[in-house]
Amino acid sequence: MPALSGFLWLISYWLIGEVVIHFTGLPISSGVIGMLLMCATLAIYGRVPSSIAAAAQPLIALLAMLIMPGVVGVFFIIDELAGQWTAILIALLLGTLLSVVTTLWLLKRLIGQVHVR
Amino acid sequence: MSANSPLLALLTSTPLFAVGLTLVAYLIGSRVFQRLKRPSWLPAILIAALLLAGALSLIGLPYATYQQGATWLTVLLGPATVALGMPLYQQLPRIVELWRPLAVCLPIAATLAAFYSLAIAWLMGSSDAILASIAAKSVTAPIAIGITEQLGGTVALLMGALLITGVITIPCVSLIARFLHIDDERLIGFALGLNGHAIGTVRAFEISPTAGAFASLGMSLTGIFTAVLLPLAWRLIGMSSG
Repeated sequence: MPALSGFLWLISYWLIGEVVIHFTGLPISSGVIGMLLMCATLAIYGRVPSSIAAAAQPLIALLAMLIMPGVVGVFFIIDELAGQWTAILIALLLGTLLSVVTTLWLLKRLIGQVHVR
Repeated sequence: MSANSPLLALLTSTPLFAVGLTLVAYLIGSRVFQRLKRPSWLPAILIAALLLAGALSLIGLPYATYQQGATWLTVLLGPATVALGMPLYQQLPRIVELWRPLAVCLPIAATLAAFYSLAIAWLMGSSDAILASIAAKSVTAPIAIGITEQLGGTVALLMGALLITGVITIPCVSLIARFLHIDDERLIGFALGLNGHAIGTVRAFEISPTAGAFASLGMSLTGIFTAVLLPLAWRLIGMSSG
């Protein structure tokens, strides 16, 4: 069961992240610490073991599904935030549009010269 | 059927009902999305979330009960975030290749991704609690939840902000890329991941593997950068309730 042992690695790294946060008080989530440690470990190891790939690939593919139960919660607080939604929606829509413009413009300025191969 | 119906009580006595309901909504959402020829303005997750919300209110299942059962799925977000270390490692050569422009762009773009929306919401008179809830709108969910809890925001509102941001990022990127004459998939992917987190990244993988790789990169780096700096910035500005 390569996927199972890969999954155990992912869980272990997440738990290590928890321990690191407990002792350092870093303001980051244990998942992020686990992710950085995982990346560092793979870089030292030099390749991705098939067990980790077998567990990581399906989990990444399911990211959208894993956030769904939380996302749905917003439909149940619509009444609670009545009167605030216009501001929230405009902030998110306009803010995202502006931020996409900035990102792409910056990238074009910075990378546009480096040629596409 | 009311929430007190014996049948519903029986079915929801284990988390399997909530898990099953989520899987059904997700699978139907993906199927409808394929059938509609992958419209950029209506990603699968939005279809699935609407279906799920509709199903919950139709059968009268309180969201809290559903959410409790669905914990069996959401707990996987932890290992899923760790799993992102794999694409990050696989893209290390590409990161090194473009490290200078990406290193300049990322802090500016990731800061502005949060700043624009916060500034607009603040100008429109939103409360501190709302600002704290939407601050992490461009960060991938497992990281964003942690950030929002630290800032004292509402996770439910954050998740809604994530959904809206992710969904709107996709047409924004294709529109503005066309306007700026950008057709480099690396740039488009990076912008999708940086602004639209997991939802944008899923879209980038539909464009091409290269776009997907750069989207995961943009998503990971934005997540890390924001997770480290946003709580500190929040404390400095004195926004935290403490």
